[in-house]
Amino acid sequence: MQLRSFTFIGLLAVLAPLATLAAGGPMTGKTVKIGVVADVTGSAGAYGTSQKNAYDLATDDLKAGRIDAGGATLTFDIEDAASDPAQVINLIQKFSTDGTALLLGPTLSAEAKKADPIAVKANLTVLATSNTAQGITAQGPCVFRNSLAEEQVVPEAMSKAARAWHPKTAAIIYGDDNQFTKTDFEIFKNALEREHIALVDTETYHTGDVDFKAQLTNIASKKPDMLVVGSLLEEAVKIVVQAKQSGIKTHLIGGNGLNSPKFISLAGDAGTGVVIGAAYYLGNNYAGNRGFVDRYKKKFGTGPDQFAAQAYAAAQIVASAVKNGATASDQFCATFKKLNVVQTVLGPVAFQGSRDVRAASAIVRVTKNGFAYF
Amino acid sequence: MLAQQLANGLFLGAVYALFAIGYTLVFGVLDILNLAHAAIFMATAFAAIALVGAGLPLALAIAIAVVFAGLLGIALDRVAFAPLRARNAGTLVPLISSIGVAIAIGGVARGLFGPGEHRFPSGTLGPLGEGRIHLGALAFSGLDIVILGVALALMGTLAYVMRATSLGRAIRAVAEDRVAAALLGLDLERTIALTFFIASALGGAAGILIGLQYDSVSLEMGSRIELKGLAIVILGGMGSITGAVIGAFILGAVEVLSVAYITSSYRDAVAFGVMFAILVLRPSGLLGKRALRTA
Repeated sequence: MQLRSFTFIGLLAVLAPLATLAAGGPMTGKTVKIGVVADVTGSAGAYGTSQKNAYDLATDDLKAGRIDAGGATLTFDIEDAASDPAQVINLIQKFSTDGTALLLGPTLSAEAKKADPIAVKANLTVLATSNTAQGITAQGPCVFRNSLAEEQVVPEAMSKAARAWHPKTAAIIYGDDNQFTKTDFEIFKNALEREHIALVDTETYHTGDVDFKAQLTNIASKKPDMLVVGSLLEEAVKIVVQAKQSGIKTHLIGGNGLNSPKFISLAGDAGTGVVIGAAYYLGNNYAGNRGFVDRYKKKFGTGPDQFAAQAYAAAQIVASAVKNGATASDQFCATFKKLNVVQTVLGPVAFQGSRDVRAASAIVRVTKNGFAYF
Repeated sequence: MLAQQLANGLFLGAVYALFAIGYTLVFGVLDILNLAHAAIFMATAFAAIALVGAGLPLALAIAIAVVFAGLLGIALDRVAFAPLRARNAGTLVPLISSIGVAIAIGGVARGLFGPGEHRFPSGTLGPLGEGRIHLGALAFSGLDIVILGVALALMGTLAYVMRATSLGRAIRAVAEDRVAAALLGLDLERTIALTFFIASALGGAAGILIGLQYDSVSLEMGSRIELKGLAIVILGGMGSITGAVIGAFILGAVEVLSVAYITSSYRDAVAFGVMFAILVLRPSGLLGKRALRTA
């Protein structure tokens, strides 16, 4: 009789956690509303579309159990800011008052600088997934980011380029009316100084420009050993193509803005050999990345870019926090601060004391068929 | 480097000129600013992409798209300007109505093609898109030469039409005095419709050429060039075709030279500063008629 009781209790001890699992986990029945502000249309539409795609895929993967949120239902309320700073502010005001537990976004650093203070004032925790400019997390005690800042990536990329190419001189072209590209310029300039590479020419452009021939003629006349491109995707493609047309045959290096499969298809042969300091490489072997890439390709017909991978990784981080009990804004803030390493498609990530992400960078080179580690 | 920069300015100015001529032609005839010109410029580039995408050879696609632009111009006149002209609505109301048509064209293009950048299918340019031509210290692409040639040919044809054909005489007569031209038996509406056809076809051709040159067609491409086109028209003298061409080449040259010798950050500021200075000295523009004040 006693033996039977022990067996029964033993069985209960084994089966109870399984029963919980079968029911969906400790957060079963809870619904958490996540607000997403992304530039799905407008000049930054390429990035926001990738982010939207990633959240759509994450929603599928949450339902299928491939992302574990402890049984809770996560809803991503994705709003298009249309690359319009005023619209970003309107949306963040909306999310600050409608019961949203966490804000993901906005897409661009310049937008975040204007909009995050509104979320901070409303005590809404923010997780930036694609802001790479300096000072994003310093805006408030509950502003986090899982995107590697340019200053975390560029020095390593420049150091590798210096070792591989032994350049003595460099020229920079960057957009001087955009927070991201201006930051890129400052960081690249500092990285060049650290590597003792002389900056022989600095050229600028405005967002939306299509003709860079005058700037590139200047650069060609200085014959630099390396050309640094501090630019977002659309302008970067044209700069690289027109650089080739202007007879510039020097080494090219760029930052996060160039890290997209679209760069390869749009720049064509002119893009081959360009080195990019980035936060994500599509071919990495981190747990779950292969499946993520395959499912993304199947669903959207193209491989995920860095913006998609960082958004998907944000969904994985959020799910991990929810599994640890976070369902409201203040709980997300507290949970993120003590969150252990989370395995994501970007690799293992954690938040530093500064609320910036700690993760590996990916220095890649454009080849004829795609990207490869540099 | 100076020679290369001047060549860059020449290629840039040629396309600016094509765009600005359409602006100034309509202004010269009707005394109104057609702010839908930039929308037609954009829509024609999209039409050319769609036609090339449908398998048509580039030259044929360009020809059809340019005719489409001209017809769009006539439709624009019928919708936005003719009804107001019939009611003597002045110059401000047609300006607003042309903005309305521009927004409508933009909306249709957004619906059909979507946001973001669009490109001609790869290989569209054939050998023109490959390689560089070297002429002493100068280097340019075959496409640069073709675009400059096409722009100059179109401008030359327009100059011939305006000077040596009955249509040109009719347009000039309407521009000079609409009432007198009508009294002399000119078909006013037909002349205005043909003016819109020519102006819009030239603007559309500029859109296609810019789309090809920079491998980029977008909903925003019209608004980027619109202000420059307007500035060129004012610089050249409102309504003066030759003035617009000179103004366009001045703007192209000043833009590239400011990058070469001042700094690229101030390119637009320098270009518009130079225009401002010229206008202070010659308020009616380079070749504009001096305003006459009558009692």
